Amino acid sequence: MNVIDLLITIVVVTILVTIVLAVITYVAYKLRLARQPAADAAPGDELRYFVKYEPSLPDAPTKDHAPET
Amino acid sequence: MSRLTRIVLSLLLVALMVVGTIAFIFWAIHASPRFQAILVRIVFVSLLIFLAILFARYFSLLWFAYLEHAERNVLEPRKQVHLPAISVIVPAYNEGAIIEETLESLARMDYPAYEVVVVDDGSTDDTLERAVSWQGRHGAGDFRVLTRRNGGKATALNTGIAASHHPYVFCMDADSRLEARTLRRAMRMMLEDDSVGAVAGNVKVANRGKLITKLQALEYIEGLNMPRRAQGFIAAVNIVPGPVGLFRRQALEEMGGYDTDTFAEDADLTLKMVAAGWKVVYEDAAIAWTEAPERWLDLVQQRYRWTRGILQSLKKRKGLFLRPFPDFPLWLSVLEMSFEAIVWPILNVYAQLFFAIVALLFGAGEMLLYWWILLTLLDLVAAFVTVSMEEESLSLVPFAFAYRFFFILFLDVVKMFAALDELFNLGMGWEKLRRVATT
Repeated sequence: MNVIDLLITIVVVTILVTIVLAVITYVAYKLRLARQPAADAAPGDELRYFVKYEPSLPDAPTKDHAPET
Repeated sequence: MSRLTRIVLSLLLVALMVVGTIAFIFWAIHASPRFQAILVRIVFVSLLIFLAILFARYFSLLWFAYLEHAERNVLEPRKQVHLPAISVIVPAYNEGAIIEETLESLARMDYPAYEVVVVDDGSTDDTLERAVSWQGRHGAGDFRVLTRRNGGKATALNTGIAASHHPYVFCMDADSRLEARTLRRAMRMMLEDDSVGAVAGNVKVANRGKLITKLQALEYIEGLNMPRRAQGFIAAVNIVPGPVGLFRRQALEEMGGYDTDTFAEDADLTLKMVAAGWKVVYEDAAIAWTEAPERWLDLVQQRYRWTRGILQSLKKRKGLFLRPFPDFPLWLSVLEMSFEAIVWPILNVYAQLFFAIVALLFGAGEMLLYWWILLTLLDLVAAFVTVSMEEESLSLVPFAFAYRFFFILFLDVVKMFAALDELFNLGMGWEKLRRVATT
């Protein structure tokens, strides 16, 4: 094999291997992405810096008890 | 269209491309010698066309970049100019490892008056605690920290903009360090012209210890900053990068701040501003040093998000493609953006795959080799010119070889898949990149 043939082989193999590796990495990324929401959805995280405000409602008449008109 | 249908359709399209190529090759192998000779001739012509497109791209960008560079050098720096106060907005989500380095760089700004508003976007690490310890006066800057429920970067930036006071707003990333002169230089460009709505700065890679980050350092100079510099010549920069951008508050308010419906809020806002008639210029001396991904998977994640975000922004403004006039520079800029985001990556991947297979099967290897050598020489020249323009270390230039050898093709495959996913509107999430403190 002369130098030219060797260089041709290197270029062609590099192109093919790079494409295959990129596809594999993309698939790995998609797999990692698919697993991500479960790990991120730890309950209570979103309220770490906020205290949920729940106003105490006055004794307003509800529909069931409202006087009929 | 349901999610499953979209996934099946996108997989079918990829399968069709692969099977079609393989079927064509098998058919070509068994075709007559006369047909094979025609095929090799077609490949030869395709290689020449491909090379011509690449030469045209590189030389037009280099020429405009050179013009911008030359014009900048004849601009006399303003003396004793009044520098208006700036609000610096730092959105931060889980940046505990690096936020203090960022704030330290902000405390050293060579600028007479500025405020720093850190917006903690509901971090689950110690970002907030570390940022809070910096509240108060540091040099000429007043540091404040806000915290909010996690809502994404665009929302955090809007929160910071709304809570800030000064007539100019500097938006940056929490993982970027500014050089002391950055605010001053960006403001100088802003004050040159009242119709300038934003100044895009120069992002450089800080962590250059690994091959992957060295390649990104070169890519930022050759692949990102060179086009930005060229766009700067026609005042139609199409992305003010997240780590370093100065905005006129009036322009930001007219635009309604950042939209939250894309994954590239910086590209989206810039397109919105340019489309509204504001000039967006580039200042290469307004430098931010950023952390580049150190793992291949993280790099894929970043580029996937960038590509889809840019495509989402372009989709929102598809009417611009049909309006070359009256704003021809804007039209040119949008076309260039689409070319870089979709056309070029797909063309590059498919062409290289096709050429490699034909070279293997029909003995056209020598032709492919010379073509490849020409591409590499082109990259080396472009790297040398752009690295010199940025007064960076010339030790980066030899990496142009590896850049052409596999890096660009690798990224183009990712961009191609991102474009396909966006075409079929597949869901995606916002993942956090891993950060490491560099000092």
